[in-house]
Amino acid sequence: MERQIITKRKRVSSLKEKKNLKAVFARRYASHLVPALKKINMNKCSSQINSKSFEQTVKHEVDMALALSAQEFAWSRFLQHNLLSSPHEDPSYSSMILERSSHKQDGKEEGAEIKKKLKELQKLLPGGEEMNMEDMLSEVGSYIVCLELQMIVLKSLVQDNIS
Amino acid sequence: MGGENHEGEIRLNHGDDESGISRVGITSMPLYSKADPFFSSADWDPVVNGGGGGGFSSSHYPSMGMDNPGMSCFPHYQTGSSSGYHDMPASLLPFGDCGGSGHFLGSDKKGESVGRLVRAGDGHQVSDDVVLGGASPARKRRQPEAESQWNKKAVEEYQEDPQSQKKQKNDQSKEKMNKESSQSEEAPKENYIHMRARRGQATNSHSLAERVRREKISERMRLLQELVPGCNKITGKAVMLDEIINYVQSLQQQVEFLSMKLSTVNPELNIDIDRILAKDLLQSRDRNTPTLGLNPFTGFQGTVPNISTSTNPQYNSLPQTTLESELQNLYQMGFVSNPSNMSSFSPNTGN
Repeated sequence: MERQIITKRKRVSSLKEKKNLKAVFARRYASHLVPALKKINMNKCSSQINSKSFEQTVKHEVDMALALSAQEFAWSRFLQHNLLSSPHEDPSYSSMILERSSHKQDGKEEGAEIKKKLKELQKLLPGGEEMNMEDMLSEVGSYIVCLELQMIVLKSLVQDNIS
Repeated sequence: MGGENHEGEIRLNHGDDESGISRVGITSMPLYSKADPFFSSADWDPVVNGGGGGGFSSSHYPSMGMDNPGMSCFPHYQTGSSSGYHDMPASLLPFGDCGGSGHFLGSDKKGESVGRLVRAGDGHQVSDDVVLGGASPARKRRQPEAESQWNKKAVEEYQEDPQSQKKQKNDQSKEKMNKESSQSEEAPKENYIHMRARRGQATNSHSLAERVRREKISERMRLLQELVPGCNKITGKAVMLDEIINYVQSLQQQVEFLSMKLSTVNPELNIDIDRILAKDLLQSRDRNTPTLGLNPFTGFQGTVPNISTSTNPQYNSLPQTTLESELQNLYQMGFVSNPSNMSSFSPNTGN
């Protein structure tokens, strides 16, 4: 079985590598978030924080855990910095309504349209506005992956505790 | 300036080392054995040929189609010295002013040399870019571009020349020269990003840099395309960007929603991390892969090389290419800390 695993591993190690990297991140993330949440909950019980600010605190911790788990990336440093400087501001993503031009333009206009969209993407990424385009695009890649993992961890946290 | 007269070499005498532009003139140089102190080899070496002496052993330009016997103007050069440029332009006319401008730029401050040329060549458009590229101290970078512009101009000028069929040759040789010039420039200017002007594309430094940038951006976007689900069929930057933006926004909103839910959760938070990880969460990205039998995660140590987990026999059908490319994505994103691990894959000999 072990041999099988090992030989298998060689073949699929690319998959494994990736999985393991994701696992590393997920693990890190959970390890950051869970204790923080526990601490919040303890404080909550003791100091009767209202639910809104509690939500904000939780969100803050959620984002913070993300930032701490992905230190390799520039956006995480930006995120961390933002969180630390304005601790209880709610970076409400849902309220970020980005204007989109729905009409398609061809040819010369396309460059401008693309630029506009790139700017929008920049706004979404923490610290994106301070990066140049090429870096920003690479950072977006890692940001997407980490967001997905974050979601997975959060989902399981929620589900495990509700059920 | 008129000090250096090297036999067998035609040099452009110029106080400043403006051999960049004049280098172009080298192509015709070998034709004329009469040395003309036009180009000082000292200036040539560091700039143009990366050490090639008079530079005219310029193997760079053998293919330069400018071996025009009809370049009767060159013999005139012999009489020229740096100060003698005034007579030069007149004789340069048959050659084409841009060639002349290329040659004589280095000899003088660019304004003046332009002035001369303008005087000399009425109706010949001396490209300012050429001049600028030639005389500026940053010519090292711009030389290929300036030269290519010069070449373009020379090509245009050639139309006035009876040898109009040379134009095609010049086009090809121009492109070759672009490549060669950028090749020869590579040694001295290693700190620049080298971009070869492709055939039919603009070659001034701005558009080259712009093109490099755009290609980088396109490359990143291709990587992103693989990350965002459902984007494989999309072609076109704008739509792709739309998708990416949508996806990031939706992810962020979901995170927000989940965190809200989390705040209402029973604060037990007895999280079994292993269980989370084992719950195929890691396969969420690979929707086409069979479930990973990652259950016994006890061996998971959180480091890349030390993974000993049970694997699913269904891996045989795993589409490796997408995975590897995704891994490459992650690698490029800085996730992979141990690239050496990826190099030792051997084909699966048996199950």
